[in-house]
Amino acid sequence: MTIGRKAFLRGATLALALCGATALVSAARAETVRVTGAYYSDKTGPYLEKMAAEFHKLNPTIDIKIEVVNWDNLLQKLQTDISGGTNADISIIGTRWLLDFVKDDQAEALDGYMDAAFKDRFIGAFLAPGQIGGKTYGLPIAASARALYYNKDLFAKAGIAAPPATWDDVAADAAKLKASGVAGFGLQGKAIETDVYWYYALWTYGGDVVGADGKAAFASDAGVKALTMYKSLIDKGLTEDGVTNYTREDLQNLFKQGRVGMVITAPFLINQIATEAPKLNYGIAPVPKEAQSATYAVTDSVVLFKNSKVKAAAWKFLDFLFTPGPRIEFTKGEGFLPTTKGEATDSYFVSNERLQTFVNLLPSAHFAPTVTGWEDTAKAVSDAVQSVYVGKAEPAAALKAAAAKADEALGK
Amino acid sequence: MNDASVVRPLPAREGAGGRRRRSRAAAPLLLVLPSLALAIAVIGYPFYEIVRLSLSDVSRFGQVRGFVGLANFSRAFADPNFLAALIRTLEWTVAVVGGTVLLAIPVALILRLDFYGRGLARTIVMLPWAISLSMAAIVWLWSFDGDHGMVNVTLQQLGLLGGNVQWMARPETAFPVEIAVGILVSIPFCVTILLGGLSSIPGDIYEAAAIDGASRAQSFRHLTLPLLRPFINIAIVLNVIYVFNSFPIIWVMTKGGPDNSTHILVTYLYEQAFYLGRPGLAAAVSLAMLAIVFVFTMIYVRMQGREEPA
Repeated sequence: MTIGRKAFLRGATLALALCGATALVSAARAETVRVTGAYYSDKTGPYLEKMAAEFHKLNPTIDIKIEVVNWDNLLQKLQTDISGGTNADISIIGTRWLLDFVKDDQAEALDGYMDAAFKDRFIGAFLAPGQIGGKTYGLPIAASARALYYNKDLFAKAGIAAPPATWDDVAADAAKLKASGVAGFGLQGKAIETDVYWYYALWTYGGDVVGADGKAAFASDAGVKALTMYKSLIDKGLTEDGVTNYTREDLQNLFKQGRVGMVITAPFLINQIATEAPKLNYGIAPVPKEAQSATYAVTDSVVLFKNSKVKAAAWKFLDFLFTPGPRIEFTKGEGFLPTTKGEATDSYFVSNERLQTFVNLLPSAHFAPTVTGWEDTAKAVSDAVQSVYVGKAEPAAALKAAAAKADEALGK
Repeated sequence: MNDASVVRPLPAREGAGGRRRRSRAAAPLLLVLPSLALAIAVIGYPFYEIVRLSLSDVSRFGQVRGFVGLANFSRAFADPNFLAALIRTLEWTVAVVGGTVLLAIPVALILRLDFYGRGLARTIVMLPWAISLSMAAIVWLWSFDGDHGMVNVTLQQLGLLGGNVQWMARPETAFPVEIAVGILVSIPFCVTILLGGLSSIPGDIYEAAAIDGASRAQSFRHLTLPLLRPFINIAIVLNVIYVFNSFPIIWVMTKGGPDNSTHILVTYLYEQAFYLGRPGLAAAVSLAMLAIVFVFTMIYVRMQGREEPA
């Protein structure tokens, strides 16, 4: 009995000593920075893991823990994590969410960490969307714009020489494509970005989504014309059948399969086609024009959370991610546009004709404005255009109702 | 079911009797205390949180910005999409539960018959139960795909369809398809309940009825159906509670679209909370749903009570 107790005491002392030792070692050794990444493609996870390992080699005292989350669930996951206080230190987010993070005082202003040389790494236009009230909260980790992909073989078969420059051309070409047995113009009508697919037309007709006064501006003449034009394409059978059944991914799949002549989407489709449909003979042209040329530009931001306990280490990792080597590898792998000058001058981007089409569109690009109620506006517009696509409502009335709905949320 | 007999005190013995009696009365309470505490923790705390959120202005990230009274409720009830979703939820529940029960009765009757391969047939009917609702919904979404879905191809081969139908593109077809899928995945549970009910009906009453000259239709109407009624009632009420709250089928297949035309309350709630960042409003909607489910649960409890004496 006594021996047992002695042995137990000895064991306990040893255990305590061990605990103390490991605590000391870990205090001296590792700071762990947790990173929530967004899933862009199956390359995202491996890329971030690789960067974490390389960074750890340079900074042995800092461990980087990566977690990659699907875009569809990312906002929900962050919402849940933040409400529970278990969020990571760094996260990739959609820049359109940034305002909500800032309003709730979740995002750390990064200006204190950035020096002039760091700021100078970026292409100016891409830094702006991550700035709110004169402070920088998000760094542009990914950027993309939109352009028209067209299938050269289908165009040749239908006897069309050049990609369409205007929406009238789109209608004429789509009619020829239809006659040759494929869907002409791919029109998105389901799920996220249904509204954006209509903004392309809205902007080229000279309209805008949100006006300078911060109120909904899309129910304008330009808006009605743009929506009427899309509806007439549907009515004449110049789009794929059942547009409200097609998400952006569905349309891209139709295009990869050679079953639709034209589709408007982002540069990352280039990489997807290269691996999934390498034989597809296609070209990229600007978004068709009407009154003016336009495109939609999007950035995703990386933010540092205010409640992080390892901000200095986390910033070090961000600094590393935005050096030319890691940037070029990311942008190339995912098929995005360069956001830093170091990438833009790399030969891969300079000589890439397809990517240059996107880059050349940037001066006429519209970014999603950083206003509260943007998600509500997107939802109201998506609902309105869907109701027109399925023939439940007329363009003018549907847009007017959607504008009233959007105004309830905009700027609140 | 007379619990009072358990706590009835034994005749008092000697002086310590008073104390013993008290501890005897306390014993059952002490015994249920752990589960009661657990129930309060598991149900009470979330309920308190939801009530608190529903009365507050809550940011996207769950920060409570202030007390707003019933503003979230009045906002929900002023939203035509909420009212449309409410009505659609009733249509959805009635159609799915009604369809399920109507189909499950003949299926259960057939599966009770003694025939070669009955075990296999029972397994096949039960099989959909083993698949998660989301997976089943994805498979059906593919089956109803407009371009290369199995449904379109089959109907065309049978000569019933001229061209492709884009089932999920229009509300007139999307919602009925979702109801059909809802019925299909609810049948196994319903059949199980009914099979249990059928096995409790003794076979000799049918023999007696047959001797008395009853036709099969008559013995179904006057014997099977009345004896099965309590089980049908339970199947209906439990299905109503499940189906009313059922999220995956509609979310996977149409996400409530196009143009909000397939939203039921639970998908509307999810969209408000996680897409539009309004946890407060979503909490208010969920309380409204809770009230509705509560009514059904009360009906269920009362039904249970009424059946017991019989």
